[in-house]
Order: sequence, then C-alpha cells, then structure tokens
Amino acid sequence: MVRIKIINILVTCAFLVLIFGLIYLEVIQGKKYRVLSNKNCIRLLPQSGARGKILDRYGNVIADSKLSYDVMISPQGSANREEALMGVSHVLKISQNDLREKIKKDYVSMSLPVVIARNIDIKKAIALEELKPDLAGVIIQLKPQRRYPYNSLAAHVIGYLNEIDRWRLTRLADYGYKTKDIVGFGGVEEKYDYFLRQEEGGLSVEVDHRGRFMRVLGFKPPKNGKDIQLTLSLKIQRIVESYLADRKGSVIIMDPYTGEILAMASSPVFNPSVFVDRKGYSIAGIFNNRDAPLINRSISGTFPPASVFKVIPAVAGLETKKISLSKTFVCTGSTLIGRREFNCWSKHGEENIIQAIAHSCDTFFYKTGLLLGPLAIHDYALKFGLSKSTSFELPYESGGFIPSPLWKKVNRFQNWYEGDTANLVIGQGDCLVTPLQMARMMAVFANKGYLVTPYIVKAIGGKDISIYQKKFSRLDLKDSTIENIRIGLKEAVSLSTGTGNVLSGLSVSVAGKTGTAQAPPGLSHAWFVGFFPFKNPKYVICVFLERAGPGYLSCVLAKQIIEAMANEGEI
Amino acid sequence: MKNSSFLIVAIAVLISLIGILSIYSSTFSKEGKFWQGIFKRQISWVILGLVCFYFISNLNYRRIWDWTYLLYFLALCFLFFVFALGVVRSGAQRWLKIAWFNFQPSDIAKLILVIFLARYFSRKSVDDINLPSSKFGVFRGLVLPFIFTAIPMGLIIEQPDLGNGLLILASFIAMLYLTNIRLRYILIFLIIIGLVSPFLWHFLHDYQKERLLVFLNPNIDPLGAGYTIIQSKIAIGSGGFFGKGWLSGTQSQLRFLPESHTDFIFATFSEQWGFLGSLILIALYYFLIRQGIIIAQRTQDAFGRLLAFGISLMLGIQVFVNIAMNLGLAPVVGLPLPLMSYGGSSVLATFIALGILVNIDKTRSVF
Repeated sequence: MVRIKIINILVTCAFLVLIFGLIYLEVIQGKKYRVLSNKNCIRLLPQSGARGKILDRYGNVIADSKLSYDVMISPQGSANREEALMGVSHVLKISQNDLREKIKKDYVSMSLPVVIARNIDIKKAIALEELKPDLAGVIIQLKPQRRYPYNSLAAHVIGYLNEIDRWRLTRLADYGYKTKDIVGFGGVEEKYDYFLRQEEGGLSVEVDHRGRFMRVLGFKPPKNGKDIQLTLSLKIQRIVESYLADRKGSVIIMDPYTGEILAMASSPVFNPSVFVDRKGYSIAGIFNNRDAPLINRSISGTFPPASVFKVIPAVAGLETKKISLSKTFVCTGSTLIGRREFNCWSKHGEENIIQAIAHSCDTFFYKTGLLLGPLAIHDYALKFGLSKSTSFELPYESGGFIPSPLWKKVNRFQNWYEGDTANLVIGQGDCLVTPLQMARMMAVFANKGYLVTPYIVKAIGGKDISIYQKKFSRLDLKDSTIENIRIGLKEAVSLSTGTGNVLSGLSVSVAGKTGTAQAPPGLSHAWFVGFFPFKNPKYVICVFLERAGPGYLSCVLAKQIIEAMANEGEI
Repeated sequence: MKNSSFLIVAIAVLISLIGILSIYSSTFSKEGKFWQGIFKRQISWVILGLVCFYFISNLNYRRIWDWTYLLYFLALCFLFFVFALGVVRSGAQRWLKIAWFNFQPSDIAKLILVIFLARYFSRKSVDDINLPSSKFGVFRGLVLPFIFTAIPMGLIIEQPDLGNGLLILASFIAMLYLTNIRLRYILIFLIIIGLVSPFLWHFLHDYQKERLLVFLNPNIDPLGAGYTIIQSKIAIGSGGFFGKGWLSGTQSQLRFLPESHTDFIFATFSEQWGFLGSLILIALYYFLIRQGIIIAQRTQDAFGRLLAFGISLMLGIQVFVNIAMNLGLAPVVGLPLPLMSYGGSSVLATFIALGILVNIDKTRSVF
C-alpha cells in the first residue's frame, strides 16, 4: 500500500510540474514570448514621405525631392519569374545572371520584395510599368530623393544627406532615428533635420511560416517633412558663387539691421548630389580632398583678421579718449617697440585716426595700441562679438580667438610684451576670426551701433520664425565714434590713396576695410569687409580669399559682386 | 457503491471535443481537401472510439485474461508486419495501411503489453487477492517479464519510434513497482539501465541524438532540430494568461509550429486559450488519471487492479511526457497527447483502454 501512496504522490507531483512549467512560460515569460511570436509573423513594408524642401527668401527651391524609381521583384510570385526576369533584364539592360545574383544576395524573406535596380530612368520605369501585366512580381517603387536644381549652390549652407553614423545614432535614437536612416550632415540639413525629416509610414502585414503574405494589419500614411525657408537670396547667392568661382575663400552678404544672411558662399564647394547617387569614388574624393571642401569657411574657418581688426582699437581709442580726432602720429615706415623694429607697409607721414583707417597705417595703430594697452583692445574685441561664436544657427561654427595677457601667462607661461600688443592691434599674432564674425563686426558701423545675431532660417513649415531669430544688442558707443570710423571706412574707398580705392568707381558708394593677413609660409589671406550703400546701408559684405595674396584681390572680387548686384537691380 | 464510468466518459468526451476544436484551428488555414477534412476524420475516430469503448466496457475484463497470449502474439505479428509492409512516412516506418486508413500498431501494442504484464504478475483466481509476485525471484520477477517486454519494445524502437518504446519501458517499471517485487530488483534494474544507456546512445538515429542534444540547448540549431521546441515554447508563452483567442493563434495557424495537430496540439491549444484554458485541460487529464487510479485502488482482484493501474499510469506518463515536451521540459520524442492529438489508432487505443478501466470498475461490484 505504501507503493500505491507513493505512486499517487508521484502522479500529483508530475502534474504540478506541468502547471509550474505552464505558469513560467505563459504568465512569467508571457510578454517576451508574445514579442517573439509577433516577430515571427508581422512584417513592416516601409513607405517613405518626402524630405522637406529648402527654399530661398522668395520661395525659390534650392533643394527639393524628386521621385526616384526603384525596381523590386517579389520572390513570392515565383511561377513566372523567369519570364519576369527576362523582361526586366531586357528593359534595364542588366544581364539575367546579374539579376539572379542580386536577388540571391539581398533575399530576406518570401514576403519582402528585393530591390534589383535603384534610381532608374523615368522612361525605363514607364516601360516597365506598361509591361507589368506580363511581369509577375515586379514592383516599381516610388521613392522621394533629394534633388539640387542648382547643383552645388549654397552647398555649405544646405549640407548634405547621408546614412546616419554611429555617433549621431546614439544621440538621436531617442528621437526615433534608426540605423540606415538618411540624415543631414552639416548646414541646415543637419541643424533642422528634425523638421525636414519625413515621417515613415507603411504597411504592417501578417505573413505565414514561409513568409508568404497573409493579410494587411494596418497602414500608416507617410508624412512629408516641413519645408524650410532661408533668408538667402538665390540671385545674390548665384552672383557671389559665380565670381568666387573656384578660388579658396568665403563671401558673406548680410543684412546689417536684422542679421539675415543673404548669401553665404564657401569655396571649394562640393556637390551634395554625389551623396544621393552614392557613388563611392566621388564621395571618397570629397573626403580626401586636402582643401577640405566640406568645411564651411564662412563660419568654421578661422583666420587672422589683419588690418580689418584695426577698427576695434580705433573704436577703443576714441571711446576711452586715449586718442581724439586731432591726435596724430607720424608714420616713418617703421617704429621701435621694445627692441624690435615694427614696420608699416608704407610711409604715411602725419595721420589722424580717419586717415589711418583709410590708409590702414600700421604705425598709427601700433602707437594707439600701446596707449590703450592689451586689455582694452581685448575687451573691445569681445564687445564686438569676437572670440566666441556669433550664435549663428548652422552647426560647426568656430569662435575664433583673441589673445590676452592672462591667457598668455596661463597657457604659454610667458609675459605679455608690448610687441604682443603691436601684433594684436593689427590683428596678427594669435588673433583668429571667422568671416562671419567680421561681417557682424562691420554691421555695427553700418547700422550705427547695434550688434546683430546673424541667422539664416526665416520660416519652418510655413511658420515665420524671423521674430525669434532677430536678436541684437546696442553697443554702448558714442555716436561720434561710430561716425568718425564710418568716415574712415568710407575714405578707405573714396580717397585715391585709400586701400580699397578700386571700389570707388561703382554706382553705389561703398565703405569698408581691407586686410592682408600674413600667414607664413605661403601667400597672405586677402580680406575686404564693408557695407554699401554708404548713406543707407543695405548690405554688409565680407570677402575673404584664403592664401590669395594682398587684400586688393578681395576688393576686386567685392567690386565685381557689387557691380553685378547693381546690374541685377538688387541694390 | 460509487461508479466512475460516467465521470470517465464525460471527461474523455470533453477532452476529445477540445482536441477536435484544436485540430480544426490548426488546420483550417491550410489548403487542400485533406487538411480541410482532417477534423471530420478525427470526429469519426472519436465516434468509433466511443463505440469501441461501449463494447469493451460491457465485455467482462476477465475474458481478456484468457486471450492475453493470443493478443500478445497478434501484437508481435502486427509489429513484424510494419517492418515488412509498413508505410514509410517522414523517415519512419510506423504505419500499416489497412483499407482506407493508416494504422499505427504500436498504439495497440503498448496496451496489450500492459494487459500481458498484469496477467503475468497475477493469478486467475478472482478470490486470490494477494499478488504472487512478492515471492518471485530475480528470474521470474525481473528477467522473464523484461524479455517479454523487450521484444515488442525493441521492434517499436527500431521503427523508429523512440517515444512509444520508452513509454513501454516506463510503464514496465511502473507496473513492476506495483507488483510487490522486491525493491532491490527494481533498483538493480534501474542501475543496469543507467549503466547501459550511454552505450545505447550509439544505436540511436542521428535525428534522435540531435533531438536530445537540442533539448539540452535548443539554440544550438534554431532552424533545424531546435526549431520545433523553440516554436512550441513561443506558441505557449505568447498565449499569456487569457490566450490569443479561438482561431487567432498566429504560431499554429500561420504554421510556424510544426506538427501542430499531432504531437504539438497542446501548444496549439495553449496559444489560443492561454494559461487559464491550459490549466483546465491539465486538470481534466489529472481527474481522468485520478479516476483510473481510484478504480485500481477499489479493485480487489490482483489482475484487475494491476491492469487498472497499468492503464492509468501509461496514460499518465504519456500525458506528462507530451505536455512536458510541449513546454520544453522534456526532449522531443514522438508521443501523441491521448485523445487530443490527431490520429485514429491513438484515439481508438485510448478509448479501448478507458473501456477496460470502466469495465473493471463495473465488474468489480459483481463479486
């Protein structure tokens, strides 16, 4: 009887084991297995919307989307596949063996069509579509693709599109970005990717164990991205780029009152459509180019400002009353500071501040600088927004750098000498600025005392955001200071001895400052930063040519641009 | 005097109905006349099974005593026939084609073996309620019955049908335990099996080795031998507490789960009815087997008692192994779930076995 009892207990235990197993699988692990079961039988067939367009200030398209046609073949309808392959191979001029290879290589499951040709010609797409009744399982999928009607125009402002990289993915995964997503790199495409981005829609379908389509579970229509309107003027941008051509450098044209960027060009350029076509060798060509065409020199390139910087010690001198209009220095071609001879680029004789700006006299500024001391110059440079980024919205903006005695002590363990002040005052030495910072600095004299924040996006998805973008602050400068410097800037062009005299023959009166930045080894950088028309300035222009030679070259380029703008009726 | 026959019929019919529903749900999405009609076939098998049940339950089980050797001989004949004339299906030769259906002799053979063992360990006299086997020596108590068992078992394993073969071995051990044989012998027997089994490994077919290895770790071959067990666990697990609902089980209806109407019918059922339904189903099986054991305990004569125990335990082991295999707690051996799995001979054999049980219960009161 004991054995019978034991058998009874064993039977009961066996069933309890089953129940515990059941609890473990269905109750405790239920959720996990539900996910696995859904993975088994639910497939998503994505459909993408179009990325938002990028427009200029008048609504002209700079980048939009075109439909591209991908040919896909569904492995499911395999009955007449040979026939279908023959037809496709005939139209696309791809050998049948290649097609078969491709299908084999990219096969995922029975229900997922395999892409056999991407981005085919529209005529071929139409031909295939007409033959479709005879081509079992062939699908022509429409896919929006970025199009750049003006090729490389404003490429640095727009940026380019590419597959998301690991670094971006880790940062953006929370915002719904997935691997293999196409995202913006650089420029507006990167900064406003979240708005431009289309929302993927698609079908979710149920499939059986062999991946065959069973039924549609749901459909989510794809959404197009939001359009972004820039402050750029297509016309001006084209003028600027056509004259800058393939010289290395940057040109910025900005509204001095609002900070709207009307043109921003950087050279050498790249063609963003290379990334759309995904031709490996041309992409590699861009990345390997030693001139770094992907860098937006207008905001990411930092260079010594040279003589353009002189307006800052000029302002500082007048503001701190260290000098006045009647104060003159005599330029004999060089001056001794410490034990070193500091040269001026010419012999100017006796000059006051206005003439010194017009002639860009180094001696005058050496002496002014020594009167001011490095701290005052440094402070005024910072007042004009140097040594930190301008809060411009495009990514990868550099801040530039203005040295100070403290910095030198901390970083170089050296004392600040008067020679350093002399270098600082003429914008050489450790001074670094971006072309955009120079344009912004010049805008202060154009708009008579306001430091604006440059911006480039006017509206997102039809909503005008320029009121949020317009940010400016009044610099606490005396009207007379600004007026005197304006005269100096004007005379730099209008005087026959002025450094920018080449610009004087134009229909508009231009004011500005040239600069020739020594950057040994090699040729110097050429600067021209100015504004026009002088009376009621409409534009600030900054022309920068990298390792081109003397500032004169930039003046010539500026002249060509302003002339063309005048001819086009933009002034 | 209590009578369990009604309860047994009721539970058996209920489980059969659940089985038919599950077979329908697992095959309704498949194309072809055969698959569409398969649940109707099962219905006819259940009806035929009930007819057999009726006859057997009214046939005094003491008659079987007289037929035992004949039945044993017939069972061996059938198993030999399978070797000679059997239908080969999915690599195994387990079926005999009789008229319009395929018959699996191993289903009947294991029942006959239980009858044989019950006869072997008891005396004909109804009044002799003491089992003689307590006085048996090693040879009569262990070696001889094992030889009788090993012949059909070997034939079945060679088909190959490891599941039914091992089921016979397990039933043999269970009955041995209940026959008052000295515990020593049983332990010796178990030790011998334990020592010999590593050598038997080499006699296994490759797919059987794979199944055993995969049981230890299903992920070594997720698309091959491990596929079934993984899909079965997904099916059961995804059912959750309340199940996915009738005809909404994706695993079985979209055919991710192989053998969803036979060996893995429990997973099919569990996916659709969830933990709640499965609990009820397991409870039904438990009550059925409990009834069998209660009958055995009530029965005074040795033959009837052993037979009732044998039948109940054989069913119990089969239910346990099948469900455990569905849950991934046992290796995949081809054992159907009695009354639920599709298969004529399995349903018939189970109803016949239950018929004998009911008859034992009925006839007992006559004495």
